[in-house]
Amino acid sequence: MKIAWKEMKKNKSRYLIVGSIVLLISLVTFIISGLANGLSQDNVSLIKNMPDGTFYMSEDANESFSQSHINASKQQILNSKHDAFAFSIQMGSLKNEADNQQSVAFLTSTDTPLLKQVNEGEVILDSGLKAEGIEVGDELSSPLFDGTFKVIDFVDNQTFNHSPAALISQETFEEMFRTDEWQLLYLPDTTETISGLQSYSKKEFLSTIPSYQAEQMTLNMIVWFLVVISGMLFGIFFYMMNVQKVGMYGILKALGIKTSVLFKMMWSQMALITIIALLISTAISQVFQYVAPESMPYHLTLTTTLQLSLVFAVVGFIGSTLSGFQIKKIDPLQAIQQGEA
Amino acid sequence: MAQLQLEQIRKSFLNGESEEEVLKGVNLSLEKGEVTALIGASGSGKSTLLTIAAGLQPLTSGKVLFENQNLAELRPEQVRKIRARHFGFVFQSSHLVPFLTVEEQLAMMMDIAGMKVSKHEKETQIKNILEQVGMTHRLKAYPPSLSGGEKQRVAVARAIIHNPKVLFADEPTASLDSKRSKDTMALLQGVTKSLGMTTLTVTHDEEMLVYADRIVTMSDGQILESAESAGRFS
Repeated sequence: MKIAWKEMKKNKSRYLIVGSIVLLISLVTFIISGLANGLSQDNVSLIKNMPDGTFYMSEDANESFSQSHINASKQQILNSKHDAFAFSIQMGSLKNEADNQQSVAFLTSTDTPLLKQVNEGEVILDSGLKAEGIEVGDELSSPLFDGTFKVIDFVDNQTFNHSPAALISQETFEEMFRTDEWQLLYLPDTTETISGLQSYSKKEFLSTIPSYQAEQMTLNMIVWFLVVISGMLFGIFFYMMNVQKVGMYGILKALGIKTSVLFKMMWSQMALITIIALLISTAISQVFQYVAPESMPYHLTLTTTLQLSLVFAVVGFIGSTLSGFQIKKIDPLQAIQQGEA
Repeated sequence: MAQLQLEQIRKSFLNGESEEEVLKGVNLSLEKGEVTALIGASGSGKSTLLTIAAGLQPLTSGKVLFENQNLAELRPEQVRKIRARHFGFVFQSSHLVPFLTVEEQLAMMMDIAGMKVSKHEKETQIKNILEQVGMTHRLKAYPPSLSGGEKQRVAVARAIIHNPKVLFADEPTASLDSKRSKDTMALLQGVTKSLGMTTLTVTHDEEMLVYADRIVTMSDGQILESAESAGRFS
């Protein structure tokens, strides 16, 4: 391995360029992935932030929560399961005193520690609305409601359908949307079925939300396409590096070096470049999370970054190994006859 | 007793659809402590014979006997081990590894040969060999900073650092001027005698034949003449 290290030391600029390329490619993938996850989070953070559990809609809802109506008899479950709760969501808008309109997802629920409760005429908003100049104490109005809402608090990461959530009281919700039936029931940490209701895991429920699945497929496609392209680029760059060294490898083989030693040399160089580049791009992509504008939907967990890094490392390893097969085919005789290594 | 024995070596290449025989039953015996020079016109088969003797390419038929083993019958890994441990190579171009210093080139060759020596012993051996080739002053130099003659001296040092039994030199003076060519050949002759090796060299330069003990003339894939060199006792 000393040879591998010495080569890197002597040809710093060449390896620095390759390392920079790996860094830039992985950074682009991380940032795009962060933006894609951010968009996804921005779409349904309200649901995503709930613990794993089961969502229930009425059987005739046709997999659309907006058409679901759970009548009083089915709500008996709330009495027997103390951590269960019912909730409803409807899209609408709020206006501030300056007549600026903001699209929101009105949300109301039965008593649960997962969602803050409000009184009639009050509203708790997603903190994203702070950027629109809305403050605690502001009076907001809605075309669907005769009175006004007083902003009493903000909560983080409570968005639905790309709109900030507005938590209102059950009575106000009934008055605005003319219904006293709940759309959804939620039971944390269970997979049990309830007769007359259709049950969904969190993942299944998310896929019933209009546009979410299509959006996710597009975003995932972008990220994985980038990963595949990046992997191919890794392979191509390591291949190019190997091609430049065919002569030297041939001479070393003529002298009697083991092919496995040459493979180890190539792998250790690839591993060192990839690990350093991935560490730097991971650090930058995590720092970006804190410096990115508040309004930019960016969400990249360390787990996702590590998973992507692992994919890069594996793809880079495969790419360099495939390109390394030419080492096996190198004819020492040809290298000797080709002049200086 | 011969250090390396070549018996009935035949080598054919496919040239289009026809088969071309470049070596036609060559017999050659290389003795310990001798420098054997292969000469002949281009295409006579001398370089092919050298590379076959060195286990660098397969032969069509015949035997390459080294220490009672026929290289032609061994697996590639076994041949590689013999090359690494018992053979040394000096090529037409020095073929030094560009990113290793002179000292590191020799240390690498010792590793390739599987020599298990202490760091101190390694350094001592490297210094001794470099002294023999007159290159101790360039211990830390990289190949690009060496002259053609110096590179070839380092290549010779690399070829003998692991005390090989046979040294193969394929036109080692082809890229050097007259003075440096003589120096290199004198060096090869010197180390062959002092280390008790066997050297097989290919050359085009008749002036260099005085450094050989035996001159083997090849023509059309066959040995035309094998004679002791006039310089053998000089």
